[in-house]
Amino acid sequence: MNPSCSPSEHLSRRALFKGTLATAAGGVVMNFGGLTSSAALAEEVKREKKHCILLWMNGGVSQFETFDMKVGRPTGGVFRPISTNVPGTQVCELMPKMAQQMDKVAVIRSMRTSEVDHPGGIYLMHTGYRPSANVRFPEVGAIVAKYHGSEGSDLPNFVKVSTQGDAGAGFLGPKYLSFSVGSRGELPTFSASPHDPAHELRRHELRTFLEDEYARTRKSDLVRMHRESYEAARRLNKAREVFKIDAEWEQHRELYGDSAFGRRCLLARKLVESGVPFIEVGQSSYDSHADNFAWHKGLAPPMEHAWAGLLVDLQQRGLLEKTLVVWTGEIGRTPKINNRAGRDHYVRCWTTALAGCGIKGGVVYGESDADGVDVKDKPVTEGDFFATIYHALSLDPKTENLAGVRPVPLAPFGSKVVSELFG
Amino acid sequence: MLQLRISVLAVLCGWVVTVSADEPRLRDRIDESVASAWQREKLTPAAPASDAEFLRRVSLDLVGTIPTHDEAVAFLDDVSPGKRDALIERLLADPRRAQHQADLWDLILFGRNPPGYDTDKRDGFQTWLREQFANNVPYDVLARTILKAEGNSAEQGAPLFFVQYRNQPEDCNEAITQTFLGIQLQCARCHDHPFEPWTQLDFFGMAAFLARLEVVQVGKKDELTMWAIGEKSTGDVLFTGPAAKQTPGKKGEPVKPKFLHGEPLVEPPLPEGFKEVKFESNKPPPAPQFSRKDQLAEWITKSDNPYFARAITNRIWSQFFGRGLVHPVDNMSPSKVPTHPELLDEMTKQLIAHQFDLRWLTRELVSSRAYQLSSNGSTGEPLPNWFEHARSRPLSAEELVASWRVATGFDVVEAAKEKPDDKKPNSRSRFKPLQWEYVIRFFGQPNNGTGDFQGGLQEHLYLNNGQLGSLLVTGPGSLLDAISKSEASPEERIDRLFLSLLTRRATDAEKQRFAEYLASDKNADRLRDAIWVLMTCGEFRFNH
Repeated sequence: MNPSCSPSEHLSRRALFKGTLATAAGGVVMNFGGLTSSAALAEEVKREKKHCILLWMNGGVSQFETFDMKVGRPTGGVFRPISTNVPGTQVCELMPKMAQQMDKVAVIRSMRTSEVDHPGGIYLMHTGYRPSANVRFPEVGAIVAKYHGSEGSDLPNFVKVSTQGDAGAGFLGPKYLSFSVGSRGELPTFSASPHDPAHELRRHELRTFLEDEYARTRKSDLVRMHRESYEAARRLNKAREVFKIDAEWEQHRELYGDSAFGRRCLLARKLVESGVPFIEVGQSSYDSHADNFAWHKGLAPPMEHAWAGLLVDLQQRGLLEKTLVVWTGEIGRTPKINNRAGRDHYVRCWTTALAGCGIKGGVVYGESDADGVDVKDKPVTEGDFFATIYHALSLDPKTENLAGVRPVPLAPFGSKVVSELFG
Repeated sequence: MLQLRISVLAVLCGWVVTVSADEPRLRDRIDESVASAWQREKLTPAAPASDAEFLRRVSLDLVGTIPTHDEAVAFLDDVSPGKRDALIERLLADPRRAQHQADLWDLILFGRNPPGYDTDKRDGFQTWLREQFANNVPYDVLARTILKAEGNSAEQGAPLFFVQYRNQPEDCNEAITQTFLGIQLQCARCHDHPFEPWTQLDFFGMAAFLARLEVVQVGKKDELTMWAIGEKSTGDVLFTGPAAKQTPGKKGEPVKPKFLHGEPLVEPPLPEGFKEVKFESNKPPPAPQFSRKDQLAEWITKSDNPYFARAITNRIWSQFFGRGLVHPVDNMSPSKVPTHPELLDEMTKQLIAHQFDLRWLTRELVSSRAYQLSSNGSTGEPLPNWFEHARSRPLSAEELVASWRVATGFDVVEAAKEKPDDKKPNSRSRFKPLQWEYVIRFFGQPNNGTGDFQGGLQEHLYLNNGQLGSLLVTGPGSLLDAISKSEASPEERIDRLFLSLLTRRATDAEKQRFAEYLASDKNADRLRDAIWVLMTCGEFRFNH
């Protein structure tokens, strides 16, 4: 037990030890992130709910075929640049829809991160931290769920739609675990009741009677928690309509583009509207070691169409000012084009993008050198990137949670918010 | 803190390994110790557990399942004064206990998702574990067998433990010290520990014992690969000391084996002109000139090892009392003071005197009045610090399925079949009719792998909408038949329901409500609902 956490924090985290069956699997002593300063922050930010949609480009999208073109250079590749609605800013010709939304987007062309392979990169770009034997870092989604989520909401606070990342809630504990839905937004196995509503209600009432009887004579935190999650499962059953997007899809097909990724983005917008603070939407597979240009020609257009549609839709509904849209994969791709017309893994200089939630649009931050080999100006580390994300979401990146007895800030110690991205 | 550790060491080393006849029984020492802590902490203990509460708890704890309806009735109606002791003896001798203990230790040693290639197929290891517990093999022997890893993983079983840590002596060291010594060295892998006395040299001194191990495939047995653990006669850890002590451009001397806070290992020199052997597949690896691993196995499992006996005592205590006297049980660092220091010392001493007989220790623990308290305390805390009420814990995946099968009569119906559905039973057959994959996914780790339980939403999707209905079979011996074909009064039938599922009789209010619910039943639909309610309620989900 950590002496510095308050009794109320102990109650709220409701982390109860299970016993021998599990202890050997454990690493450090978990107390699921309890820290008083963190509780105070949680109170403060909950008054101003913000949302975050992470568009995850799995496998590592190429900066050269999107936002950092090297025209006429040996590393430049086959595509041409096109103008955008921001004078002086060009993007790849594969992105005509996004070209018209660049006034909403801040591009970071000077990412320099520290994990060059997929598993490490996926962990890094979901948590802000490199994988460690000793600390299980939570994903950004779990952190946003903790600070912007609501207790007792019908919907889970952290939803993943067809995406990667397995760091989960880490030391924040299972309360902030993600809820995964399928690649077309369908709910997981066993989420639909096999019974008709009357039958469902009837047996629910009998169950309620029994649980009430138990609670009347006995105190048990475990049984109470078990009952709470039973209720959450029932509420999800009621809220399942949110996940049915077929009807709405017909009206939005044009806007988002007719693709699976477009459907996922529409679902993400719907979930934001329904109060879910964090949604991650994935698209595979950018790992183009061979035929990089063909892969990007296939993948980028539906992606950018959906992304542009999402930004327009969020803005029209007045949601963009409180919803941060993050665009990133786990790695960038090499400047050098290999002998299979592919690009390999590269993290010394690559590109990510942010929009909404106070992010100044039309900005291109940082610069790569002539061939895109190295950062020429203003490098941004993974820590800086996550500090900027948290700042946009009204969370102080220095806020600490406890991993065992070790305080861990939201973004790694020493990370800097890229303040030029804010208006 | 260091002083405390040294004094503990001194006490341990001075122990005389005999048991005198007039020594008080351990169960009495336990009760004295917890009672004096209650007094000091000004706590009122809970009332003693009722017979029903005790029967369910001890059955789950010792054999991993709830009792049958008939067993429950027999025990509750038994008026003999020694019936609890008799029950404990019966359960300790029950063959299902070996399976239950094996399940538990399989989780301790491997977890649900062990690292390493091919470690998800553990039939050989699990069979070996079951035999150890069936024969009540002393714990030091069991641990030594795992650590010496002789033979292969399919036939002898034990060598599979090391297969998890193929070419990872550092990971292996962390696992061994955490599991068998109850201490966590992993911080010292990268830096000297900030507030425990573990240094990087300590860490790599221990890892050096494991640096020469190699996993070798030595054949196939049925569908299992036979893995053996070879040990080279040369090779060292890739660590030459803390960074600050290194000279740039110079290759340092690798850290040599040294027992944790003990002596360096004295190794005989290699013979003149020794040439290292290369292990070949399908051949048992030859023994090394000198085995570092065996030296480590001997040192760890000696009764005067300062950590080993304390660690297992604390672990077995927590198995029945929820919380270790040092908690969690795999982090008994020297700076952590036990809640009941004398009791931990006393139990450790007696366990050594009883040659690491875990069945004896288990008997003493579950026979104590402290274990036999009600779990209904004033706070609702599942794992009370001072053991003023009994602990509550979730049922494991294996316990849940076993209990559902007992309660619904699925076991009886299945056993009566002339031709079993399952032509090739394996270690997953006992999950039938449920699917092993789902049961493990939803109930395998109700604790995020770190020891903490929090009811998740996902398990309820399975409980509400999943496969539980497939357990509600009909036929002689099934619960459905026993209720729906019964001539007894509604109240008696409801008692039978509750005894079958919750190991207790129904209260008057419950009888009334359930009787109302079942009054207009057609095709046993409502009866199925009632059984579902009892199968999924909090009272069933936990052992309390």
